[in-house]
Amino acid sequence: MEREARTPPEDPALRARFERDALPLLPHLYAAALRLTRNPADAEDLVQEAYLRAFRGFSGFTEGTNLRAWMYRILTNTFINAYRKKQREPVTVQDEEIEDWYLYDRLGASGVESSAEAEVLQRIPDEDVQRALEALPEGFRMAVLLADVEGFAYKEIAEILDVPIGTVMSRLHRGRKALQKALWETVRERGLVER
Amino acid sequence: MNDECLKVLEQVELFLDGELEAGVSLEIQHHLEACGPCAGHSEFQRQLKTLVRDRCGCDQAPAHLLERIRSALADPSR
Repeated sequence: MEREARTPPEDPALRARFERDALPLLPHLYAAALRLTRNPADAEDLVQEAYLRAFRGFSGFTEGTNLRAWMYRILTNTFINAYRKKQREPVTVQDEEIEDWYLYDRLGASGVESSAEAEVLQRIPDEDVQRALEALPEGFRMAVLLADVEGFAYKEIAEILDVPIGTVMSRLHRGRKALQKALWETVRERGLVER
Repeated sequence: MNDECLKVLEQVELFLDGELEAGVSLEIQHHLEACGPCAGHSEFQRQLKTLVRDRCGCDQAPAHLLERIRSALADPSR
Protein backbone atom coordinates (compact mmCIF):
# COMPACT_ATOMS: atom_id res chain seq x y z
CA MET A 1 0.00 0.00 0.00
CA GLU A 2 2.75 2.42 0.96
CA ARG A 3 5.45 2.97 -1.61
CA GLU A 4 8.60 4.75 -0.54
CA ALA A 5 9.19 7.45 -3.08
CA ARG A 6 12.01 9.80 -2.22
CA THR A 7 10.88 12.70 -4.32
CA PRO A 8 7.65 14.54 -3.65
CA PRO A 9 5.11 14.73 -6.47
CA GLU A 10 5.96 17.53 -8.91
CA ASP A 11 2.61 17.26 -10.62
CA PRO A 12 0.44 20.19 -9.44
CA ALA A 13 -2.72 18.14 -10.03
CA LEU A 14 -1.39 15.43 -7.72
CA ARG A 15 -0.61 18.01 -5.05
CA ALA A 16 -4.09 19.52 -5.41
CA ARG A 17 -5.67 16.08 -5.15
CA PHE A 18 -3.63 15.28 -2.02
CA GLU A 19 -4.68 18.52 -0.38
CA ARG A 20 -8.30 18.03 -1.37
CA ASP A 21 -8.59 14.36 -0.32
CA ALA A 22 -6.04 13.82 2.44
CA LEU A 23 -6.07 17.04 4.45
CA PRO A 24 -9.75 16.73 5.50
CA LEU A 25 -8.75 13.55 7.38
CA LEU A 26 -6.63 15.65 9.75
CA PRO A 27 -9.07 15.85 12.72
CA HIS A 28 -9.48 12.06 12.85
CA LEU A 29 -5.79 11.39 12.35
CA TYR A 30 -4.94 13.83 15.12
CA ALA A 31 -7.33 12.18 17.59
CA ALA A 32 -5.85 8.79 16.73
CA ALA A 33 -2.30 10.17 17.05
CA LEU A 34 -3.15 11.53 20.48
CA ARG A 35 -4.28 8.08 21.64
CA LEU A 36 -1.08 6.57 20.27
CA THR A 37 1.43 9.11 21.59
CA ARG A 38 -0.57 10.16 24.66
CA ASN A 39 0.50 13.79 24.42
CA PRO A 40 -0.43 16.71 22.16
CA ALA A 41 3.10 17.77 21.13
CA ASP A 42 4.07 14.27 19.96
CA ALA A 43 0.65 13.83 18.33
CA GLU A 44 1.21 16.96 16.23
CA ASP A 45 4.67 15.81 15.19
CA LEU A 46 3.39 12.33 14.37
CA VAL A 47 0.53 13.64 12.21
CA GLN A 48 2.85 16.02 10.37
CA GLU A 49 5.41 13.29 9.73
CA ALA A 50 2.68 10.94 8.51
CA TYR A 51 1.36 13.59 6.10
CA LEU A 52 4.85 14.23 4.74
CA ARG A 53 5.45 10.53 4.18
CA ALA A 54 2.03 10.16 2.59
CA PHE A 55 2.69 13.11 0.29
CA ARG A 56 6.04 11.69 -0.79
CA GLY A 57 4.41 8.37 -1.59
CA PHE A 58 1.18 9.74 -3.01
CA SER A 59 2.07 9.00 -6.65
CA GLY A 60 2.02 5.32 -5.62
CA PHE A 61 -1.51 5.57 -4.24
CA THR A 62 -4.20 4.35 -6.62
CA GLU A 63 -6.99 6.89 -6.89
CA GLY A 64 -10.36 5.47 -5.97
CA THR A 65 -8.93 2.95 -3.48
CA ASN A 66 -9.22 3.40 0.27
CA LEU A 67 -7.40 6.64 1.11
CA ARG A 68 -8.48 6.59 4.77
CA ALA A 69 -7.03 3.13 5.32
CA TRP A 70 -3.88 4.14 3.42
CA MET A 71 -3.40 7.19 5.64
CA TYR A 72 -3.96 5.18 8.83
CA ARG A 73 -1.45 2.62 7.67
CA ILE A 74 1.11 5.37 7.23
CA LEU A 75 0.19 6.91 10.59
CA THR A 76 0.54 3.64 12.49
CA ASN A 77 3.77 2.72 10.68
CA THR A 78 5.22 6.14 11.40
CA PHE A 79 4.26 5.75 15.03
CA ILE A 80 5.82 2.31 15.28
CA ASN A 81 9.04 3.42 13.57
CA ALA A 82 9.53 6.82 15.12
CA TYR A 83 7.79 7.03 18.47
CA ARG A 84 7.63 3.59 19.94
CA LYS A 85 11.37 3.61 20.50
CA LYS A 86 10.92 6.19 23.20
CA GLN A 87 8.42 4.12 25.12
CA ARG A 88 9.08 0.88 26.87
CA GLU A 89 5.88 -0.98 27.52
CA PRO A 90 4.27 -4.41 27.61
CA VAL A 91 3.57 -6.09 24.28
CA THR A 92 0.51 -8.00 25.40
CA VAL A 93 -2.39 -7.58 27.79
CA GLN A 94 -2.39 -9.39 31.12
CA ASP A 95 -5.87 -10.74 30.73
CA GLU A 96 -5.77 -14.29 32.07
CA GLU A 97 -7.95 -13.30 34.98
CA ILE A 98 -10.34 -11.12 32.97
CA GLU A 99 -13.42 -13.12 32.11
CA ASP A 100 -15.86 -12.22 29.34
CA TRP A 101 -18.53 -9.72 30.36
CA TYR A 102 -16.22 -8.45 33.10
CA LEU A 103 -17.77 -5.02 33.48
CA TYR A 104 -21.34 -6.07 32.75
CA ASP A 105 -21.27 -8.73 35.45
CA ARG A 106 -19.69 -6.42 38.02
CA LEU A 107 -22.15 -3.64 37.42
CA GLY A 108 -24.95 -6.18 37.80
CA ALA A 109 -23.44 -7.52 41.03
CA SER A 110 -23.21 -3.96 42.35
CA GLY A 111 -26.93 -3.57 42.04
CA VAL A 112 -26.99 -1.52 38.85
CA GLU A 113 -30.26 -2.25 37.06
CA SER A 114 -29.87 -3.30 33.44
CA SER A 115 -31.59 -0.11 32.33
CA ALA A 116 -29.14 2.04 34.35
CA GLU A 117 -25.87 0.67 32.97
CA ALA A 118 -25.75 3.24 30.21
CA GLU A 119 -26.13 5.94 32.82
CA VAL A 120 -23.12 4.68 34.77
CA LEU A 121 -21.04 4.56 31.58
CA GLN A 122 -22.10 8.10 30.70
CA ARG A 123 -20.87 9.36 34.07
CA ILE A 124 -17.30 8.18 33.43
CA PRO A 125 -15.29 11.31 32.54
CA ASP A 126 -13.88 11.54 28.98
CA GLU A 127 -10.29 11.51 30.17
CA ASP A 128 -10.80 8.29 32.13
CA VAL A 129 -12.07 6.52 29.01
CA GLN A 130 -9.13 7.94 27.06
CA ARG A 131 -6.62 6.84 29.74
CA ALA A 132 -8.18 3.36 29.74
CA LEU A 133 -7.66 3.05 25.99
CA GLU A 134 -4.19 4.59 26.13
CA ALA A 135 -3.16 2.07 28.80
CA LEU A 136 -3.61 -0.84 26.38
CA PRO A 137 -0.45 -2.25 24.79
CA GLU A 138 -0.08 -0.61 21.40
CA GLY A 139 -1.12 -3.54 19.16
CA PHE A 140 -4.34 -3.89 21.14
CA ARG A 141 -4.85 -0.15 21.39
CA MET A 142 -4.53 0.29 17.62
CA ALA A 143 -7.01 -2.53 16.94
CA VAL A 144 -9.65 -1.09 19.30
CA LEU A 145 -9.04 2.44 18.04
CA LEU A 146 -9.37 1.43 14.40
CA ALA A 147 -12.51 -0.66 15.02
CA ASP A 148 -14.44 1.31 17.60
CA VAL A 149 -13.33 4.90 17.05
CA GLU A 150 -12.66 4.87 13.31
CA GLY A 151 -15.15 2.16 12.33
CA PHE A 152 -12.82 0.19 10.07
CA ALA A 153 -13.77 -3.37 9.07
CA TYR A 154 -11.58 -6.23 10.29
CA LYS A 155 -10.17 -6.72 6.79
CA GLU A 156 -9.13 -3.07 6.64
CA ILE A 157 -7.57 -3.24 10.11
CA ALA A 158 -5.65 -6.34 9.08
CA GLU A 159 -4.26 -4.43 6.09
CA ILE A 160 -3.50 -1.29 8.08
CA LEU A 161 -1.63 -3.19 10.80
CA ASP A 162 -0.28 -5.86 8.42
CA VAL A 163 -1.48 -8.75 10.59
CA PRO A 164 -3.86 -11.67 9.87
CA ILE A 165 -7.60 -11.15 10.49
CA GLY A 166 -7.45 -13.72 13.30
CA THR A 167 -4.94 -11.53 15.09
CA VAL A 168 -7.23 -8.52 14.67
CA MET A 169 -10.12 -10.46 16.20
CA SER A 170 -8.04 -11.70 19.11
CA ARG A 171 -6.61 -8.25 19.83
CA LEU A 172 -10.07 -6.70 19.72
CA HIS A 173 -11.56 -9.26 22.06
CA ARG A 174 -8.70 -9.14 24.55
CA GLY A 175 -8.22 -5.39 24.24
CA ARG A 176 -11.90 -4.77 24.93
CA LYS A 177 -11.78 -7.02 27.98
CA ALA A 178 -8.76 -5.16 29.36
CA LEU A 179 -10.58 -1.91 28.67
CA GLN A 180 -13.56 -3.13 30.69
CA LYS A 181 -11.29 -3.91 33.61
CA ALA A 182 -9.79 -0.42 33.50
CA LEU A 183 -13.25 1.14 33.27
CA TRP A 184 -14.42 -0.91 36.25
CA GLU A 185 -11.50 0.45 38.29
CA THR A 186 -12.56 3.96 37.32
CA VAL A 187 -16.17 3.26 38.23
CA ARG A 188 -15.06 2.05 41.66
CA GLU A 189 -12.57 4.85 42.30
CA ARG A 190 -15.06 7.52 41.34
CA GLY A 191 -17.80 5.95 43.42
CA LEU A 192 -20.16 5.60 40.46
CA VAL A 193 -21.66 2.45 42.00
CA GLU A 194 -22.93 2.00 45.54
CA ARG A 195 -21.00 -1.13 46.41
CA MET B 1 -29.11 -19.19 29.45
CA ASN B 2 -29.04 -22.24 27.21
CA ASP B 3 -26.58 -23.49 24.58
CA GLU B 4 -28.04 -21.20 21.97
CA CYS B 5 -27.50 -18.22 24.29
CA LEU B 6 -23.86 -19.18 24.80
CA LYS B 7 -23.39 -19.44 21.05
CA VAL B 8 -24.98 -16.03 20.53
CA LEU B 9 -22.92 -14.36 23.26
CA GLU B 10 -19.74 -15.78 21.77
CA GLN B 11 -20.54 -14.11 18.48
CA VAL B 12 -22.00 -10.88 19.75
CA GLU B 13 -18.83 -8.83 19.22
CA LEU B 14 -18.62 -9.98 15.60
CA PHE B 15 -22.33 -9.24 15.25
CA LEU B 16 -21.98 -5.69 16.60
CA ASP B 17 -18.88 -5.11 14.48
CA GLY B 18 -20.91 -6.06 11.41
CA GLU B 19 -18.53 -8.87 10.59
CA LEU B 20 -20.96 -11.82 10.33
CA GLU B 21 -22.53 -13.19 7.19
CA ALA B 22 -26.01 -11.83 6.61
CA GLY B 23 -27.71 -15.16 7.43
CA VAL B 24 -25.89 -15.66 10.73
CA SER B 25 -26.39 -12.04 11.63
CA LEU B 26 -30.13 -12.38 11.07
CA GLU B 27 -30.29 -15.49 13.29
CA ILE B 28 -28.58 -13.59 16.08
CA GLN B 29 -30.89 -10.65 15.63
CA HIS B 30 -33.90 -12.95 15.94
CA HIS B 31 -32.47 -14.53 19.07
CA LEU B 32 -31.83 -11.11 20.64
CA GLU B 33 -35.39 -10.03 19.90
CA ALA B 34 -36.70 -13.06 21.78
CA CYS B 35 -34.16 -13.36 24.62
CA GLY B 36 -34.00 -10.67 27.28
CA PRO B 37 -30.73 -11.68 28.97
CA CYS B 38 -28.86 -11.90 25.65
CA ALA B 39 -30.36 -8.61 24.52
CA GLY B 40 -29.11 -7.02 27.74
CA HIS B 41 -25.58 -8.31 27.17
CA SER B 42 -25.58 -7.23 23.55
CA GLU B 43 -26.93 -3.77 24.35
CA PHE B 44 -24.22 -3.27 26.95
CA GLN B 45 -21.48 -4.30 24.53
CA ARG B 46 -22.93 -1.86 22.01
CA GLN B 47 -22.88 0.93 24.63
CA LEU B 48 -19.22 0.20 25.33
CA LYS B 49 -18.37 0.56 21.64
CA THR B 50 -20.27 3.84 21.54
CA LEU B 51 -18.52 5.07 24.69
CA VAL B 52 -15.08 4.46 23.21
CA ARG B 53 -16.07 6.06 19.91
CA ASP B 54 -17.60 9.16 21.48
CA ARG B 55 -14.93 9.80 24.10
CA CYS B 56 -11.77 8.81 22.28
CA GLY B 57 -12.33 10.36 18.89
CA CYS B 58 -13.53 13.80 19.87
CA ASP B 59 -10.25 15.67 20.45
CA GLN B 60 -10.03 18.90 18.50
CA ALA B 61 -6.86 19.28 16.47
CA PRO B 62 -5.14 22.56 17.35
CA ALA B 63 -6.02 25.31 14.88
CA HIS B 64 -2.40 25.88 13.85
CA LEU B 65 -1.77 22.24 12.89
CA LEU B 66 -3.41 22.42 9.46
CA GLU B 67 -1.31 25.45 8.53
CA ARG B 68 1.81 23.81 9.92
CA ILE B 69 1.21 20.76 7.75
CA ARG B 70 0.39 22.86 4.69
CA SER B 71 3.66 24.70 4.94
CA ALA B 72 5.60 21.48 5.57
CA LEU B 73 4.01 20.06 2.40
CA ALA B 74 5.00 23.18 0.47
CA ASP B 75 8.62 22.43 1.32
CA PRO B 76 8.68 18.67 1.85
CA SER B 77 12.45 18.40 1.39
CA ARG B 78 13.06 19.83 4.85
